[in-house]
Amino acid sequence: MHRMKKSHAAALGLMLLVASSCKPAGAKKTLPGHELYAACKSCHGAQGYGQQNIAAPAIAGLPVWYVEAQLVKYRSGIRGAHPDDYEGLRMRPMSQQMMDTGEVKAVAAYVAAMPPMKQPSTLQGGDATAGSGAYAVCTACHGPDGKGNQALNAPPIAGQHDWYLVSQLKKFKSGIRGTHPKDITGAQMRPMSMTLADEQAMKNVVAHISTLAK
Amino acid sequence: MISKYVPSVSSFSNDIDSLIWLVTVIVGFWFFLAEGVLLYLIIRYTAQDGVKAKYIAGEDPKEKRWVAWPHYLTLGFDVWIIVAAIQVWQNVKQTMPQADETVRVIAQQWAWTFVHPGADGKLDTSDDIRLVDELHVEKGKTYHFELNSRDVLHSFSVPVFRLKQDIIPGRTIRGWFKATQTGHYDIQCTEICGIGHALMPARIIIETTEDHAAWVMSKTPASASLTVPSTQVGGMP
Repeated sequence: MHRMKKSHAAALGLMLLVASSCKPAGAKKTLPGHELYAACKSCHGAQGYGQQNIAAPAIAGLPVWYVEAQLVKYRSGIRGAHPDDYEGLRMRPMSQQMMDTGEVKAVAAYVAAMPPMKQPSTLQGGDATAGSGAYAVCTACHGPDGKGNQALNAPPIAGQHDWYLVSQLKKFKSGIRGTHPKDITGAQMRPMSMTLADEQAMKNVVAHISTLAK
Repeated sequence: MISKYVPSVSSFSNDIDSLIWLVTVIVGFWFFLAEGVLLYLIIRYTAQDGVKAKYIAGEDPKEKRWVAWPHYLTLGFDVWIIVAAIQVWQNVKQTMPQADETVRVIAQQWAWTFVHPGADGKLDTSDDIRLVDELHVEKGKTYHFELNSRDVLHSFSVPVFRLKQDIIPGRTIRGWFKATQTGHYDIQCTEICGIGHALMPARIIIETTEDHAAWVMSKTPASASLTVPSTQVGGMP
């Protein structure tokens, strides 16, 4: 009996000794893009096509430079920090899950490599013919095919959800987006959104964008 | 003791600390005493070769005392704790002292928007100051707060105030606080509110009267008038 108690005490002591000598792995490692993307899945979806019910846009296949630039803006409060930017305020903390620029690049590369898909139209009442005239202003940066232009920091917009494009036009126009003093590219877009007189004009131009091939 | 680890900077935080201490000391004393007695009895009456276990019905008054006395003591100490807790609850939750100012707190997944009254001291005027994740208040002033949620359940927690209040979408929940020290402290959401819940911190900045007035002026646009706008500032999206 006593021998048994002694052996138990010795085993307990040994376990405590082993536990106290264990140290967490010191070196921090940069997680790969597919692991980082696990945090994005719940809103943007496993394939990166977005979800309208939570206002998450399609991100699959967006160019790496654009995804990276937007993540940097969100992380630093240049985008998604306006009190009225409900969706942006939700994205901002998610962007801060990446621990450093290495992880930002990794997840941006993963998103860029996802196969894109043209998103279905959802908007009612948009006149694509009328919108094609207004789109002439947009072609200077986004191109006639809506595929964007890195040299001008203009992202591709063809194939994006139409409801998302309208929501961003509204945000640019009302100053919810593109008014931060450090948002240089947002400041370029804001006056362009001002050329659209009202919501109908926005719907028209987005209806035209929806006709462009992804 | 608690304030050594988490500063105590509201007019009622010491009352809540005292209550926590009362519960800890009473429960702690009886916990260690009961466990000590149990441990002693386990060791004293451990199984021994040749000694048969004895069945005790617990009907003898001498034996019943081991249950009855702790029972009476538990009831007595419970009453003590409940009386103290009700006093604190009455002072903190049931009483609303006259407000010097009111701030609006709007929670959403996963950020806080704080609407401060501007130089006019009133909410819903054009000089309101709206900030994300940053609440500025003045030391020594009594503030009422109005809690709103844009989406799901949240909880407004200011650990240094010992303040925690759930926020329910569709309702405006009111409360109060009065800061007693200047400094920068944490605000956190203490209700699981989605995947980004852990990434929803904010800061409360408690300032002197002079510093707070200077901050208000620095944030007040020159064009601000003191008229009520047609749409409520800081309302639901």
